[in-house]
Amino acid sequence: MILQIIEDALFSAIAAIGFASLSNPPRRACLASGLIAAVGHSVRFVLMKFTALDLHIVVATAIASLIIGVLAVVVSSRTKVPAEACLYPSLLPMFPGIYAYRTFGALVMCLYKGNEGAFNHYFYLFASNGFTCFFILLAMVAGATIPLFAMKRISFQVTRRGHTPVL
Amino acid sequence: MLPSVRGAADFLTVYADWLFSSGATCIRLEKNTRRMAVSLGVEMEMCILPRHIQITVTRGNEVFTSVVAINERPVNYDINTRLSRLSWDMADGRTGFDDAQKAFSEIIEARPATGCYSTLLASLANSAFCRLFGGDAVAMGVVFVATFAGLSVKHLLSVHRFDARLTVAICAFISSVLAAADGLFSIGGTPQLSVGTSVLYLVPGIPFINAFCDMIDRHYICAFGRLMNAIVLMCCLSAGLCAGMLVMNIGMF
Repeated sequence: MILQIIEDALFSAIAAIGFASLSNPPRRACLASGLIAAVGHSVRFVLMKFTALDLHIVVATAIASLIIGVLAVVVSSRTKVPAEACLYPSLLPMFPGIYAYRTFGALVMCLYKGNEGAFNHYFYLFASNGFTCFFILLAMVAGATIPLFAMKRISFQVTRRGHTPVL
Repeated sequence: MLPSVRGAADFLTVYADWLFSSGATCIRLEKNTRRMAVSLGVEMEMCILPRHIQITVTRGNEVFTSVVAINERPVNYDINTRLSRLSWDMADGRTGFDDAQKAFSEIIEARPATGCYSTLLASLANSAFCRLFGGDAVAMGVVFVATFAGLSVKHLLSVHRFDARLTVAICAFISSVLAAADGLFSIGGTPQLSVGTSVLYLVPGIPFINAFCDMIDRHYICAFGRLMNAIVLMCCLSAGLCAGMLVMNIGMF
């Protein structure tokens, strides 16, 4: 169990740091993104796999995103970069890529398959994966952006010199 | 010495253009620009549209409105951070108008640290992404190669100012064709994950999240503009992926 969590955290951190490099953030923001992503993604992993609650991916994503949002704001006051620079790369490892891929695949198959039975099957796959993908995205952005607005005093003053914003 | 109303308006609009295109949300744009306007001794109102920013500056009876078309630039959080710091430096009286103009020029002239280094890191990130979805070592290797090739083409096309939407479609096509090698030669156990993950580096995550931030802040038009932009890019990505799968004759399920 511990090994699985560590593996999940490690790969999330690599994914976050790598994707962060595409948006050219300051180096300290890259490292912070890796750390936040590792915490956030492993929280989601634990909530889904190892708790008695056995949470659905959407709920687990919302909770993990909220934690990522809070951490991004808190860490940004230390790294002196806007919270968004740490927030977005940290969220990316939770992106529902495979659900999006399956949604798109099922849509194409709906168009290809002429008979009613096959169409219904692929339409079911399209709707099921599409809804899951949409709600994971919604949970991600809502969970992560709420702390930005709830802690405005910190979020928008972190780049001020000689000023350490407090909660 | 305070700048003229026109000078202040022109400076603020160019500043807003750069801040917006470097990936800032509307709330940050408003806050930063407003605090700079106060330091320049003017009152300011701004209107943020998906492709233009309009700023009206007032001092006594003098009024000047400046409109700027937002230039498309790659998201750059280093510029975003430094421009935000500049706004605080002006607000706190550390930097005057002339120095601020010089500092602004230096910030926007700084070259982004993109190239082979960030391409390698992003390729590594995408293969780690593949692992998170359950891909095996072969799938990770294939995704790494597919991402590296796609990103290299993306950099090349962006240098030549190729249309961003076509670029996404072409890169998705290249990455999916290369990732199909996993299934085609039966070298790995998770070929579907290779193809599915190989294009994820093209997902416009920042416009999606910025759109939601703008929506919370009731900048609905701008939020809708960003969302539509992201959706169009997703459609281009899907078209490229679909074309790649058709060429390689890969079944979806």
